[in-house]
Amino acid sequence: MVFSSIPFLYYFLPAVLCLYFLVPWKGKNAVLLLASLFFYGWGEPKLLLLMVFTIALFYVCGLAIGRAEQKRWKKFWLMVSVVTGLALLGLFKYADFFIGSINAAAGLHLPLLKLALPVGISFYTFQCLSYTIDVYRGNVPPQKNAVSFGAYVALFPQLIAGPIVRYVDVARELENRSHSWEDFGAGLRRFLVGLGKKVILADNFALLIKLFRESGEASVLFYWMYAIAFTLNIYFDFSGYSDMAIGLGRVFGFHFMENFNYPYLSRSVTEFWRRWHISLGSWFRDYVYIPLGGSRVSRGRWVCNILTVWMLTGLWHGAAWNFVLWGLLFAVLLMTEKWIPALQKLPDILRRGYVLLTVVLSFVLFNAESLGQAAGDFAGLFGFGGLPAVTAETLYYLKSYAAVFLLGFVGATPVGKAAAERIARTKAGAVLEPLMMVGLLLICTAYLVDGSFSPFLYFRF
Amino acid sequence: MKKWSAIAVAAVWAVLALGAWFSPAEEVSEAERRQLAQLPEISVDGILSGDFMAGFEDYSLDQFPLRDTFRRIKSRFHHFVLRQKDNNGIYLAQGHAVKQEYPLNEKSVAHALARFDSLYDKYLTDSKVYLAIVPDKGYYLAQSSGHLAMDYEKLFSLCREGMPWAAHIDLTQALSIDDYYRTDTHWRQERLTGVAGVICDALGVTAPREEDYTRTPLERPFYGVYYGQAALPMEPDTLYLMESSLLEECRVYDYENGKTGTVYDMAKLESKDLYDVYLSGARSLLAIENPNAATDRELIVFRDSFGSSLVPLLLQDYARVTLIDIRYIQIGLLERFVEFTGQDVLFLYSTLVLNNSAAIK
Repeated sequence: MVFSSIPFLYYFLPAVLCLYFLVPWKGKNAVLLLASLFFYGWGEPKLLLLMVFTIALFYVCGLAIGRAEQKRWKKFWLMVSVVTGLALLGLFKYADFFIGSINAAAGLHLPLLKLALPVGISFYTFQCLSYTIDVYRGNVPPQKNAVSFGAYVALFPQLIAGPIVRYVDVARELENRSHSWEDFGAGLRRFLVGLGKKVILADNFALLIKLFRESGEASVLFYWMYAIAFTLNIYFDFSGYSDMAIGLGRVFGFHFMENFNYPYLSRSVTEFWRRWHISLGSWFRDYVYIPLGGSRVSRGRWVCNILTVWMLTGLWHGAAWNFVLWGLLFAVLLMTEKWIPALQKLPDILRRGYVLLTVVLSFVLFNAESLGQAAGDFAGLFGFGGLPAVTAETLYYLKSYAAVFLLGFVGATPVGKAAAERIARTKAGAVLEPLMMVGLLLICTAYLVDGSFSPFLYFRF
Repeated sequence: MKKWSAIAVAAVWAVLALGAWFSPAEEVSEAERRQLAQLPEISVDGILSGDFMAGFEDYSLDQFPLRDTFRRIKSRFHHFVLRQKDNNGIYLAQGHAVKQEYPLNEKSVAHALARFDSLYDKYLTDSKVYLAIVPDKGYYLAQSSGHLAMDYEKLFSLCREGMPWAAHIDLTQALSIDDYYRTDTHWRQERLTGVAGVICDALGVTAPREEDYTRTPLERPFYGVYYGQAALPMEPDTLYLMESSLLEECRVYDYENGKTGTVYDMAKLESKDLYDVYLSGARSLLAIENPNAATDRELIVFRDSFGSSLVPLLLQDYARVTLIDIRYIQIGLLERFVEFTGQDVLFLYSTLVLNNSAAIK
């Protein structure tokens, strides 16, 4: 089930909210756990067992780490959880990638496993890993209540597309959280803004991307429109989902970390990654980069650490070589920025332009179905192969999507948010704000009813 | 949001949710002219396979309260706020709803031509064969309104080259956008005497005269197929019947149900698609007997739905006209019902069908 669907918005969510607020405090986590398992099972009925197994595994390992008195036993249970969790992730997500790569390199014909990729496995596996690692490090006590732990792992607001919520960040709220109209209202508004980003912007850009791929009249301009459309598509898709997750969390009394902070305004790639998918970047920093020694090592080792972290970041996004290259591209850019501090002294406009261009081109690599398609897309962007600069079809779509692009450009900056907050602070805001939210709900519903259904991009990760 | 603002938003949401949960399911969508999905049956197999969930998604979309109103909200927002030039592939130009038929699907055209070729080889080598292609509305509106359209000249050229055994009748100059319904894909029968004249001239038979017909409007407003799809503000069309004493005495035999009826099927006045009143709409095989024909000549028309409103205007000289729609009957089965004896043969197909010919058997 996805948030931007009629079954979620008008069947599942109202029912869960009613149940959640009707039951006494003791039953609220149980409602969340059952609702989350239903939510997951709706899309992946057969893989619900894997989810339950994962919850049980990490719950038991967390308890065992907490109870073990000797360090080696703590380490043993940590290793059991990490190795099993990563093995499951590897089996379902990466096995065919490695088998295919071995086949290609060695000329073998090993059969592919062709296992279905469990939705959100990368997100919930990383959440679980953070739990046992933090318990092992003594940052947080183990969760003794299986229902509360299950509710944390399976929590439907952020189960399938993040943000990656660490146990340590919500441990207190799992045990004791408050509910207020203020939180409810703020959460509702945040959810609707996210829904609007997804349904009105991301899905419209997705449609343009589909039209581009189906077009028989490619042009250089169309390739650039595609690249920019995908850059906006993935931002509004993913940040929209994060907004909805954070908003829903707040309705239920949780305060999840922010996952995006206007990344396209960054003045360096380093800054971009502090603003883009923040929960993933900080996860890799805290659980991979720093344990490897971070930057407090020799230059050679540091380079090795950076390459490792970014190759893993690329692989986290997908089991394909274009994702690996995408991650390594950022590793090279980050190292370059570190080694050439003079880059930070360039005028802002140049720095922002460099980041935008880099990000747009990187997403072309990211979104390619193969390295061959990526090469073809880059050739198209730079006019190789005798492509016309523009065609009648390109101009048509440029005119047709001009307002959507404009809305996308504005929406990727804080301008819209600032304007909405300014309106909300006025006397008229008390009326205008709910009217705008109702309007947003009705327009999004209208798009969904009309059938412009499009699954979230980050589900595949 | 403050408390009462949040309550107000939640209340609207709750009302819609209650409507979704408890409003009775409808069978059909009049605007979209299709059956609506119903609540799927719950079974273990259906749940494990995900079929139940997929069925429920369809059901929830199709049965959402005020569905048509929401579709209108979407199309207006899409059109007037986002300024998108088409909505679900339909655009408005000069008061017409038009389907953006783009690009030219050469594979589809080749498929249609291959089927026509096998028809010719099997049945028509002794006949004089004609081809008339009906341009869709985009031919007249796309360029002037800045929309995309297929390469019509290439389509015509492909057909000329692919059917060297047929004489080609150009209809493009005999038509204008005013000859089509504003809310529908089809042409207006009351404005087709000119087109019919061009075809009759080519066939060597008497052309229809305006004064031989009475234009009778139908009371029920005609909401064409694009009206529902576009969901944009449009007035309905009026559908007219071109009536004459000659047509009144013609009898139509429907091979599908073995019944004999009239050229205008008044039983279809209540059907979802009012255009079905012309020769009963989509039928695989019809034969029109004209007892008052000026000659004993016969005509066979291979056609799509555009033929339903045009053929009544071609009848004057023909004692018998057979209409065949090979989207609904296999070519190999035709010899069981039709005797091909060198009759005049007209292929009458719209650019829409040629560009989407998968249904041609």
